[in-house]
Amino acid sequence: MVGQNTSMVNSGYHSKEFMAEMWDTIKAGKIWKGEFRNKRKDGTLYWVNTTIIPFIDEEGKPYQFMGIKTDITENKEHEFELSERAKEIESINKELESFSYSISHDLRAPLRAVDGYALMLEEDFGPTLGTEGNRLIGVIRHNAQHMGQLIDDLLNFSRLGRKEVKKARVNMQELTESILREIQVGKDFKAEVEIKPLDTAMADQSLLYNVMSNLMSNAVKYSSKVERPKVIISSEKKDNEVIFSVKDNGAGFDMEYANKLFGVFQRLHTSDEFEGTGVGLATVQRIIHKHGGHVWAESKIDQGATFYFSLPN
Amino acid sequence: MENNVIEILLVEDNMHDAEMTIRALKKQNIANNLIHLKDGAMALDFLFGTGEYSGRNTQIKPKVILLDLKMPKVNGLEVLEKIKANEDTKKIPVVVLTSSKEHPDIEKCYELGVNSYIVKPVEFTNFIKAVSDLGLYWLLLNQPPQ
Repeated sequence: MVGQNTSMVNSGYHSKEFMAEMWDTIKAGKIWKGEFRNKRKDGTLYWVNTTIIPFIDEEGKPYQFMGIKTDITENKEHEFELSERAKEIESINKELESFSYSISHDLRAPLRAVDGYALMLEEDFGPTLGTEGNRLIGVIRHNAQHMGQLIDDLLNFSRLGRKEVKKARVNMQELTESILREIQVGKDFKAEVEIKPLDTAMADQSLLYNVMSNLMSNAVKYSSKVERPKVIISSEKKDNEVIFSVKDNGAGFDMEYANKLFGVFQRLHTSDEFEGTGVGLATVQRIIHKHGGHVWAESKIDQGATFYFSLPN
Repeated sequence: MENNVIEILLVEDNMHDAEMTIRALKKQNIANNLIHLKDGAMALDFLFGTGEYSGRNTQIKPKVILLDLKMPKVNGLEVLEKIKANEDTKKIPVVVLTSSKEHPDIEKCYELGVNSYIVKPVEFTNFIKAVSDLGLYWLLLNQPPQ
């Protein structure tokens, strides 16, 4: 459009200040750029991305101007839809957060009472309840504690989904050694653990601690029943990735079910064989995926297992 | 029921948690001068000598307050805020005992000046240990301002 008068019709959407700012810019002989909602002659509204260029006379006053307009109605509608969706998601997230708060608070309290009162019973009346009575109390306590663990693991898992990944260079050698010191204190620890020289990783330190700690505890757990349990941790660089691996010589698993390994609550062993809640590897996978990496495993029954994860370097 | 010495003020609405806490403290022989109140409103009345505790000698202060967060009427955060905002009560150590591991609560408590924050473990043996340790610490080891 070129002219002395404007053919721009304010749709009533823009504020007086917005319009004044636009005209002031043009009158001052400057170029105005912005998004403008316009009205067609038939009354329909549309959005244009507008640049208005004033032509200036000898005295420096604008005598006419040229406008370049691109219809961005579709973009605008899209933008609006997206922002609506974002609001929706935010409110769902808030709801989930308060839901997990209730779970952690309201479910743990009764469980604590179940476990606590069972123990009081055992302490105060144990001798008169006999062997079978005491065994039953043991079963109650064991299950209450297991459920407590399940709730904690599940909350932890859901919290990870919302956690922001803060990447930095992580010294994997130090991280792995500190995890080892922590799990060595655990009961029945008898594995020989070898940590090879490890590459560094670009990752979120606390999340990666979670990953390594899960994989190493698993390796120790699933090799606890063999004569001489051995765990080896190593790393290698490949293409643009670093691959870390945790290898054990324990119970292993049937590769046929490998696809189930990383599902929540999925377990390939019964709790009689090995204790667990089935959340650990799901957590590992979630974290590695958030980093843009992959996780997989190789194994044969009774011949140990190796868990790998890769991270973009 | 005017005691001249109050060592522990337990503010807890869950009767089962309260029973377990008192039992754990008894085992350490530190529950002799314990007062248990069932909600935050009662705790404030007790501390500031108002409501059903009007006329109580508020100079007799507990050595430590064990405070649950989620309670009806006045919740633990509000109680903590009032205790720490008042010159007369702000030096009493407050230990928050709660089921909640949620971070906003923990942060909020420290902002308000809590002295310690303990998540009640599900496992009773750990619960006993946590309660006994903190009871012993605040009553026997900690040196309060004179």
